[in-house]
Amino acid sequence: MSVITTQNLTMQFGAQRALDSLNLEVPSGVTGLVGANGAGKTTLMSIALGLRGQTSGSISVLGMDPAREAAQLRSVVGYGPERNVLPEDMPASDFVKHLSEVRGMPAGEAKGRASDALWLVGLGEERFRALGTMSTGQRQRVKLAQAIAADPSLVLLDEPTDGLDPVQRDEMLALIRQISNDYGIDVLLSSHLLEEVERICDNIVALDSGRLVAQGPLTSLVGDTSTITAELVEIPDRPGAIEGVEQRLRQAGLDVQRDLNLLRVTGDDPQVTLDAVRDAIAAEQARIRRVSTDRRTLEDLFTEVPA
Amino acid sequence: MSTAEIFDRGYRKFDGERAGLGQAVRSVSWHTIRSILGIGRKGRHKVFPIIISVIAFLPSVGFLALAVLIGDLLEGELQPEYWELFGLPIVAVVLFATLVAPEALVRDRRDGMLRLYLSTPLTKPTYLAAKFIAVMSTMAIVVAGPVLLFLVGNTIQSLGPDGFGEWIEVLVKVVLSSLIIVLFMTSVSLAASSLTDRRAFASVAVLGVIIGVSIVVNIAVERIGVSRNLLVLDPFAVSLETAARIFGNVSPEFTEAGDDVPTWMVYSGTAGWILVGLGILTDRYRRLASV
Repeated sequence: MSVITTQNLTMQFGAQRALDSLNLEVPSGVTGLVGANGAGKTTLMSIALGLRGQTSGSISVLGMDPAREAAQLRSVVGYGPERNVLPEDMPASDFVKHLSEVRGMPAGEAKGRASDALWLVGLGEERFRALGTMSTGQRQRVKLAQAIAADPSLVLLDEPTDGLDPVQRDEMLALIRQISNDYGIDVLLSSHLLEEVERICDNIVALDSGRLVAQGPLTSLVGDTSTITAELVEIPDRPGAIEGVEQRLRQAGLDVQRDLNLLRVTGDDPQVTLDAVRDAIAAEQARIRRVSTDRRTLEDLFTEVPA
Repeated sequence: MSTAEIFDRGYRKFDGERAGLGQAVRSVSWHTIRSILGIGRKGRHKVFPIIISVIAFLPSVGFLALAVLIGDLLEGELQPEYWELFGLPIVAVVLFATLVAPEALVRDRRDGMLRLYLSTPLTKPTYLAAKFIAVMSTMAIVVAGPVLLFLVGNTIQSLGPDGFGEWIEVLVKVVLSSLIIVLFMTSVSLAASSLTDRRAFASVAVLGVIIGVSIVVNIAVERIGVSRNLLVLDPFAVSLETAARIFGNVSPEFTEAGDDVPTWMVYSGTAGWILVGLGILTDRYRRLASV
């Protein structure tokens, strides 16, 4: 079952269209919601939480309508906001316990679960410290702990690595992966950092100015392509070698684009194409600077969008 | 047998029954009461609540001390009416409404907690209900507490109402009057606090509404000679006058040459202030962006 499904979801703020006829299917696992600032990520999360009503279209989260079943939905959805939302003089354990109670955990259970969640995010020893005395990394962990303490089915995390150094960021990403893998909690992770999304997400939803750019499993959207780039070197004692390689590849039925000494060769099977390039270079005894398989990144999803 | 509990059992799924919205409201109310009273917070957060409580209880404790020392001599002129006791700690009530109550709303907006609360089963109305209950509960300590203490103290000294029936009647009137004054002050205080994210500004706004309007109305009545009926717009006076009317009295301020400001007008003035306050509060939060 899809965690989030939308049909022609549109959100209009005055003259500005924040979401434009989105048709989404967010499956289980960790899903990255990517896009630049203003792409509509936070608006989509607001609608998914039932905090805003859409202008038109429909949305279903965990099989519920956020507008009509908001309270029931929000008791099983955790949310980690982007902004710093921690009361400075409150101990982390009290903060997480309080929000667990508000999300429906019985009072007796909430204390234990707050403690468990804080241990899980690596703050077990620090749980009685006031939030105002914690580092940025620790505060981000507290925000994650409060989002998962009430045993949600789905967690929405808005820029959870914001303000973290590389080591802290790695640890936070590992934690997010862990809560999905070990505890079966689905995660919708909003981020403008494509590299980190690529590292931990199973699925991607890419938005640009409120429009859907791409969606699907990460493996189908990024990774090696079937295009091989070969950069050859022109040498005096082998005139015409590059032309010879190009001709052999064309004769093999491959699509070849040449830009001076650079050949971009595309075929149906990346391995067959690579073998053909290697064989043609060997046959012509051309000198190689580099041969590589082209890789499609998340960034390419956005650069390929027509203006 | 040891009562120790092991809490660190490792993160696990929860297969019990989730509590409903009632618990969410209770939890936010209790959390807010603790925050307002400075419980679990640094010492400086406890200063105002302690000072205000001392000011609120001082008159009642003083009269009770006199009752213990001079007994029956206190009866008659020296013995204040119960409704008059609502006016004596009014400074404490206004200080509470000005300096302490705004903390209930302003802090959540400043910290961003409002955003987090609204991602839970709470909605804006239920969140405001939780805050209203919290402020009313704590304000009741300084409004009802001194009068109830005086009633109980007098009863112990055999200076209280005659007979059980009359005692219950006084108790009901004290509770009803307290409820109305608390509702009134909470409504005005939270409405003014909803207009800003800064506690200092909120305090000024509350003070402006309560003291500012009171001064303007009194100048109009006393200096310009406008009808005393205008006093129902004085938040200070009308809330206390409501208590007086519940006890079947009229305070001198609300009467002139034998003509009293009608009781229905006093009640309408109080109800109007409460409704306007609630209207501003709910409208302000309806317009606030959630996330």
